[in-house]
Amino acid sequence: MTRGLGWVAAVLLMGGLLMAFGVAPREVTQGNVQRIMYLHVPSVWVAYLAFVVVFVASIAYLANRSGAADRLAHASAEVGVIFTGLTIATGAIWGKPTWGTWWTWDARLTSVAVLFVIYLGYLLLRGMIEDPERGARYAAVLGIVGALDMPLIHFSVYWWRTLHQPPSLLKPGSATMPPIILAALLVNFVAFSVLYVYFVAKRVRLLRREQEAFA
Amino acid sequence: MPDNWGFVVAAYGLAAVVLAGYWRRLVRRERELTALDARRRSRS
Amino acid sequence: MTYARRAWIVLWKDVVTERRSKETLNALFFFALLLLFVFQFTLGGDRERLGAALPGLLWLGFILSGILGLGRTFLAERENDCLEGLLLSPGDKSAIYLGKVAGNVALMLTVEAMLLALFALFFNVDVAGALPPLAGVMVLGTVGFAAIGTLFAAMTAHVRARELLFPVLLLPVQVPILLACVKATEAVLLGEPLSAVAHWLKLLAAADVIFVVAGVLTFDAILEG
Repeated sequence: MTRGLGWVAAVLLMGGLLMAFGVAPREVTQGNVQRIMYLHVPSVWVAYLAFVVVFVASIAYLANRSGAADRLAHASAEVGVIFTGLTIATGAIWGKPTWGTWWTWDARLTSVAVLFVIYLGYLLLRGMIEDPERGARYAAVLGIVGALDMPLIHFSVYWWRTLHQPPSLLKPGSATMPPIILAALLVNFVAFSVLYVYFVAKRVRLLRREQEAFA
Repeated sequence: MPDNWGFVVAAYGLAAVVLAGYWRRLVRRERELTALDARRRSRS
Repeated sequence: MTYARRAWIVLWKDVVTERRSKETLNALFFFALLLLFVFQFTLGGDRERLGAALPGLLWLGFILSGILGLGRTFLAERENDCLEGLLLSPGDKSAIYLGKVAGNVALMLTVEAMLLALFALFFNVDVAGALPPLAGVMVLGTVGFAAIGTLFAAMTAHVRARELLFPVLLLPVQVPILLACVKATEAVLLGEPLSAVAHWLKLLAAADVIFVVAGVLTFDAILEG
């Protein structure tokens, strides 16, 4: 079943590439550099999705101590860190020609960077504790605390960059996108989500086999 | 505004390398485990 | 024994041992003094530059001494093998957590007060006028810091590389608290009213509540073995 999922993800990714380069038009103000967005925005979505899954799985683990929930949390955190790293890297590559700098302490960049280090720490903690049962418990606590921290990070970083209280709660509405760009983005959203599920399913199975092999 | 195709290629190339690299790591680890299983079974 | 009484006993035990040995407090005081030297040497004698960086330096000092102090939270229990005894005590384990958090808040606030006095003395800053609002910001920030710090200290107590892992886990989670504290301190030292930074204070209060509740709910899972 995982294999089928992999093929679906591959086909969807191809479709996403086709939409990003073949169908979507050259953006008027930014030029072709804007095409990085079809990669960058779905990555960020998958990263947040992954950490929400870690949160839910961590609560489930502390509630009923099922190994499956622990493996799901571990796999999701690992995949999430990869997509967070990808988000930061593609954001930097987009920022260089657009803003003229690889990195700026922009609100959204900063909050993604903070998430990146929190969940890198999560993986570090998992690697440093020998007793797997204890490691699972501690990681679950960190997974919960990290997720609870996400809204705090979002608001604090946002206020930090905008000197005074922002007008709206989440973020000012961006200009409406042309439907064709939206469609290309949507295909990539679906493709990346399926890829996430595929990676997590594969990693979960691998974790289970590792535990069986070294039990 | 210039097109900066180089940056677009760099971004997509990097993504391809990272995602394919992670996938290969998973596949290789799985193969190792299968080999380990087979060795254990043949020994017992 | 009631829940509050058990938390109080844990706090009281720590306060008494600290008052007798003064081990942590003396070392932290000395460390704070050294930090001032380091700030002075690295930033130079330019008073204006120091003044501009003051809120950041102040919280840098609080956080560095906080990491050293909080990392020792469960050290006495670990070294004397008393953690098992603590675990065997009947009832809800989160009382132990709340007692430890209270002890850590007290310890950190003491160090922070000393550090603040040293800053005022050596860098010639006038904090007297802004003292009441500044104290409020410090208390709000310290509660959140200690709530997470105590939880993570319990978590890393059994890890070999704990003095490394503890700050690595603690610092990124503390980013919102740190930002809020620095921004609020900046405004307070400039003589602005607290209402100008009300959103930061609300964020700090929210962080305190969220982290203390999360600590109370998950502490059992950390201690159980």
